[in-house]
Amino acid sequence: MAEIILEAQNVSKAFGITQAVNKVSLTFNKGEIRGLIGENGSGKSTFVSMLCGIYPLDEGKFILEGKELNIKNQVEANLNGISIIVQEMGTLSGLTVAENIFLGHESKFVQYGIKNTAAMNREAERLLNEYGFYHINATSMVDHYTFEDRKLIEVVKATYFNPKILVIDETTTALSQHGREELYKHMKRIKEEGNTVIFISHDLSEVIEHCDTISVLRDGELIDTVKSSEVTEDDLKLLMVGRELGSKYYRTDYGEPISHEVVLSVENVSIPGQIENISFNLHKGEILGFGGLSDCGMHELGKAIFGAVYNREGQVMLADGTNIDSIPVAIKNNMAYTSKDRDNESLVSNETIRNNICLPSVSDLAERGMLWSKKLKQFAEKFANMMSVRMANIDQFVFELSGGNKQKVVLARWLGKDSDIIILDSPTRGIDVKVKADIYALMDDLRRKGKSIIMISEEIQELLGMSDRIIIMKDGKISAEFMRDPELSEEDLIKTMI
Amino acid sequence: MNLIHRFQELKTDKRFASYYGVFLLLFLAFLFWSIFRILSPENFGSLNNMSYYFQSSIIYSVGACGFYFIVIMGLFDFSIGANVVLSSIVGVVLSKHFGYAGLLIGCLVCGALIGFINGFLYVRLKIPSMIVTVGLMLIYESLAYFVAQGQKQTLDPALRGFAKAPGNILLALIVFVLAGLILKYTKIGTYCYAIGSNERMAENMGINVNRYKILGFVLLHFFVGVMAILAVSYGTSMTAVTGMSSMARNFTPLMGCFFGVAFRKYCSPVIAIIIGEMIISIIFNGFVALGAPTTIQNVITGAALLIIVASTARAPRGAVVK
Repeated sequence: MAEIILEAQNVSKAFGITQAVNKVSLTFNKGEIRGLIGENGSGKSTFVSMLCGIYPLDEGKFILEGKELNIKNQVEANLNGISIIVQEMGTLSGLTVAENIFLGHESKFVQYGIKNTAAMNREAERLLNEYGFYHINATSMVDHYTFEDRKLIEVVKATYFNPKILVIDETTTALSQHGREELYKHMKRIKEEGNTVIFISHDLSEVIEHCDTISVLRDGELIDTVKSSEVTEDDLKLLMVGRELGSKYYRTDYGEPISHEVVLSVENVSIPGQIENISFNLHKGEILGFGGLSDCGMHELGKAIFGAVYNREGQVMLADGTNIDSIPVAIKNNMAYTSKDRDNESLVSNETIRNNICLPSVSDLAERGMLWSKKLKQFAEKFANMMSVRMANIDQFVFELSGGNKQKVVLARWLGKDSDIIILDSPTRGIDVKVKADIYALMDDLRRKGKSIIMISEEIQELLGMSDRIIIMKDGKISAEFMRDPELSEEDLIKTMI
Repeated sequence: MNLIHRFQELKTDKRFASYYGVFLLLFLAFLFWSIFRILSPENFGSLNNMSYYFQSSIIYSVGACGFYFIVIMGLFDFSIGANVVLSSIVGVVLSKHFGYAGLLIGCLVCGALIGFINGFLYVRLKIPSMIVTVGLMLIYESLAYFVAQGQKQTLDPALRGFAKAPGNILLALIVFVLAGLILKYTKIGTYCYAIGSNERMAENMGINVNRYKILGFVLLHFFVGVMAILAVSYGTSMTAVTGMSSMARNFTPLMGCFFGVAFRKYCSPVIAIIIGEMIISIIFNGFVALGAPTTIQNVITGAALLIIVASTARAPRGAVVK
């Protein structure tokens, strides 16, 4: 019989006037994998952050194994058997792998104030081997490793002490298939040991496949908790959004011919060690999709086309013969680029929405070298409203926005610049259903206006639904090309990716 | 192309990296020594001279070791010079009554106290460390003037054991070993690096950031207290002057500290600091031997620091450098 391990009673939290979590009451059982889903801004991250000691509660309480939980930070949460793998980077640069794994818990290795570094390193190495991460070395600086490996280190850090409750906060979106498999393995192990996993993800199929039950939040409130064996993705979407999502999600047109007019020609572009001899043409009004495994080189290609790679070889040329060799040149020639790493590469988090939107258009907005507040505000508001950014006002700081709204700000910025060639790298990564639909509608709209879009995506459904042409890359080279066709299936694409 | 790649990979191996780092530093020291030796063989570079250069460099190395704790946390402190003046005057005044004990306790306790005040006020007032320490520097300078009652404070000749070998070297050695041990074998080292890397995250890991910042300042100024002992022993006396003139004493330790930071991924920062200060001492004394005016010396020393750090701490193309 299911045994309750954690109970949330009327948990609430507000940030200023925004009520992020509103009297949410939930129970979790031992040995359960619970999915927690909801749109951006629905309160899932805030809810688990309170559980893990990252934020204090305004109201309500958590009861763990019959006792009320009273914790002030993550380390105290860990000591109570609760641990979290966060969405962003959870390891500290400048420290070794071992130091990161045991950060905050060094007292195990400290005697009379002296830290037994050698013992700490040995223990870390043992754990890494136990997890099968042989390629990660306990004494190396964590900076040597890729984002994905650093996430794997976080997996060790969060699970080595057999936590009673493990929270996985949208970690899978940033991992390759291999990384995800590792994570699923550990989720299953924790369940089999009788402990609980709370799994947050926007990938509904993943949630249905790996969770026993699913709780849905909307606007800070609990809507329902359902058994994953009894629901479909559409059922979940309905619960998340609260209204029937129109069947028009992706593009519904087929058979529209692609214009012959070439707007961008890419010839023999290579980045030593990453991509090799990529050549293709982009046509006016076309959505050209790029797909492949996450390390196939398509993300680097996106940067290379935008002039953001220093050791690129080959040629990227516009129709009028201009060579795109650097970012300023690209922007001046009406090219736009949104990065997969939104928070670090696309947005200035510590700045207002207004300034983020106006950023590339500043020289256009200047009157005789001066920038007028009113003009900037009007400009930013126009495009923020066009994208329906959910904000308190245009002077709100970007770091306060949810992931989906941040992406809308990035797109608003390029709309403002009226770019003709737009390179979108993972445009709907980590974004909820409603905003995704908005972004697809925008892309369709731009396409009709004659703008050309390169969409780099790891989501096959998205590629199939939105692209006029799909180019699949594998191991740094072009592997196949497909034309838009309602008969085209996931398997067709996957076959050429692996 | 292949050779360069192999070399880069070798550099990531810890043991090779530490030999590489030390070797590079020693090579630089040798390089500068050769330049000045060739230019001015009679005045520069004999074994006796070198011993003198080394002994004058260890004052700054001691300060630099303390500075390192602060700098890796991303903080700064302009009051080091003022500390040297104030602590040494307090030490001399006390030594008149209590001899060596007075000197040692006076300098060290005064130093640590200054460190505590700096750290405490910085944490409480929440003003950037640069600004807080400039303000405090002015206060300490005036305090020193007050304690000395405007008079030059001379250290009794009988108490000048730290002015020459082996006293000075032993004292410095204790500091170096202490700094190295703290960095490598205590939580303080890890936490200082963690706070410097991502303060928010460090706080979330349960690290009491404020406590370690204050601790960093106390450590820094405790080491500067040792620096004060050495400074007043070498100089035999200390005069308190106001008007920010103590600032001049800040920069040589700072430069040594940067060697430590730049070479951190190769070898122990303490070793990098010791050799780095020695390099600076060689350059400085080299110019003295050549008879160059003091102003030129400062220009060249500053330039040498820029060149050395720029060529050793290579940021990869496109990296963000603050």
